[in-house]
Amino acid sequence: MTTMRAVTVLLEDRLITFNRAVGLLRRRNLPVRSLAVGPTVTPGVSRLTIMIHSDEATANRAVQQLQKLVGVRAAIAFPARDGVTRELALVKVRATGERYGELLDVVQLYHAAVVDDNPEATIVEMTGSEAFVLSCIRALERFEVLEVARSGAVALETGLAETGASVPANI
Amino acid sequence: MAEQLTGSQILCRTLLDEGVDLMFGYPGGAIMPFYHALPEYPALRHVLVRHEQAAAHAADGYARASGRPGVCVATSGPGATNLVTGIATAHMDSTPLVAITGQVPRAMIGRDAFQETDIIGITQPITKHSRLVEDVEELADAVREAFAVAREGRPGPVLLDVPKDVQNQKLAYTDPAPRVPEARRAGLVDRPTPMAIVEASRLIGRAQRPLIMAGHGVILSDAYDELKTLAERTGIPVITTLLGISAFPESHPLHLGMPGMHGEVHVNRAIQQADLIIGIGLRFDDRVTGNLAAFARGAKIVHIELDASEVGKNVPVTVALVGDAREILRELLATIEPRDCGTWRGEIASFVRPRVDSFKGGLAPEGILEALEDVSAGRCTVVSDVGQHQMWVAKLFRYQRPNTHITSGGLGTMGFAVPAAMGVALARPGEPVWAISGDGGFQMNMQEIATMVQEQIPVKMAIFNNGYLGMVRQWQQFFHGRRYSATPIWSPDYVALAAAYGIPAWRVERAEQVDEVLRAAHAHAGPVLVEFLIEQEANVFPMIPPGASLSEPIESETVSV
Repeated sequence: MTTMRAVTVLLEDRLITFNRAVGLLRRRNLPVRSLAVGPTVTPGVSRLTIMIHSDEATANRAVQQLQKLVGVRAAIAFPARDGVTRELALVKVRATGERYGELLDVVQLYHAAVVDDNPEATIVEMTGSEAFVLSCIRALERFEVLEVARSGAVALETGLAETGASVPANI
Repeated sequence: MAEQLTGSQILCRTLLDEGVDLMFGYPGGAIMPFYHALPEYPALRHVLVRHEQAAAHAADGYARASGRPGVCVATSGPGATNLVTGIATAHMDSTPLVAITGQVPRAMIGRDAFQETDIIGITQPITKHSRLVEDVEELADAVREAFAVAREGRPGPVLLDVPKDVQNQKLAYTDPAPRVPEARRAGLVDRPTPMAIVEASRLIGRAQRPLIMAGHGVILSDAYDELKTLAERTGIPVITTLLGISAFPESHPLHLGMPGMHGEVHVNRAIQQADLIIGIGLRFDDRVTGNLAAFARGAKIVHIELDASEVGKNVPVTVALVGDAREILRELLATIEPRDCGTWRGEIASFVRPRVDSFKGGLAPEGILEALEDVSAGRCTVVSDVGQHQMWVAKLFRYQRPNTHITSGGLGTMGFAVPAAMGVALARPGEPVWAISGDGGFQMNMQEIATMVQEQIPVKMAIFNNGYLGMVRQWQQFFHGRRYSATPIWSPDYVALAAAYGIPAWRVERAEQVDEVLRAAHAHAGPVLVEFLIEQEANVFPMIPPGASLSEPIESETVSV
């Protein structure tokens, strides 16, 4: 069934290894919706989260192909609905005068936060599912949105992975 | 005892440690320190090619014939980029290859220096692994890793990019402890579960219309005996894919032939009617399956394959047996009872169609290949190029001995045969090696005759000259209304060309000459060239049109599509 799936990869935190992993996604023509990479608790190892909209076989094959790359320590895939998926967005908004109060109302409604404030622009931070973040950005569009930075999604499978193939925290 | 060595000396030492005694290459600015060190290591034979592409193909040929990684060397920039086609060829056909390229000094990288190119970036999608060596401290390890990655699991090409200043860097070097040679490192290769073996065995025992499809994996894992035992114990006929040719003796009554686009009608028909296909070491490539939706609809598939990511990639698989073909076949054989599929074989025999004679009286490839088989007593290795002659060489020569048919299957690289045959000849001294090309492919790398002469590499070259880029012309005839756009191709006087290089050559125009010329060519110890002027518009039959199913072959000129 075609649905949103998370492929998470633990890999050496070197540009060449990222390059290899991302190059593979391109070469295999995978339906990638988002990419996020960041450090893990293990020095020298990064975690890459790839959201793809595909069937199970495509996601599993992506995992097998990623596992063949030198520098990839582990890779798994799971349907997004079996996990928790979050992304972070920073939105720079201009809302002056009486509109500033209105902005704070929206921020509060979405459990977002003002993380920087100066007379020209306010930076709002929000975290949530892709749908939540998008609707929050849409809500902010009634003000003047100057810039949006989204992190791309990170995801964890809930509970213990059925296959026992969960990517270990430390390797 | 540690001694002061340069990066280049360490490179040579570690190549020797890996068992390398031969490499193909071409010097240039950024690889000069390596070439400076090379004469200190006479056990490393270096073959100077005339174009780096040939170095990669020759190393590929050497690897396919010997089972050991082939090594090619080039300088940075254009030297490195010239290797690309050869590396891609090796990648598609799972050949262990180590390509070593010089790179501009580290301080210059990223500044668009003279002859700088990002060869790691360029070759990333066509290598199993690649690595820029950033310090002499990591060089020895990088070489060991390169060879390990190239040969382990599903083999493939690895590229090592070594900056010039790293080649010159000095290091107190200690020889590493000798390593226990591990041909097959445990852990790198999966093993199927006992349940999967039982299930496969059950399917093989029950099928009414089973077939074995043997691919390159049988050759790579040296599983000839196991394949033969499986076929003989069960009576299941064996199909060999283009790269699986010579994995099973063609004189054997259970041998069926080649499947796919140019496969024989009875082979494809057997596939379409099979209820079980045991695929061994193949990837169900589109040239084999034709239209996937219509491929072997009634068949369950048992797929024996080393690379898990190949299983289910193209065809849905009933039982996947992931691991080394030889090991898996041995496990299977322990559970398989003797049976006979006589009725099914009889049915297949009734599918056999007389070969369509596409030759109208001119010199026919069939006769040439029969004569070659005769003259060589079947004891030669045939390296083919790409195109019509490749299909004739695949289908009309009867291969009896393992791994005696070598060709560029996946990438379909014209220009492969001549340089690859140099590697094959050096891997199999004393054995006749034929490089058979069309007039198009031959002209792509014919500069390598000079390499053969300088290095005394006894390749026997045959050109099937029809004055066309024949396979493209055939497609134009069938699918493009006979508009022969850019396919007529002029050739030089090959006999005169050979004379210029100082090697014997013959031009054969009539069938009566074939035998005598082939005998003379066989008797000569060094490189020779034979040009066969074959019929100009002969076609390869049968042919499955691209995108059609295996049930829709074109069998003669009269069918228009």
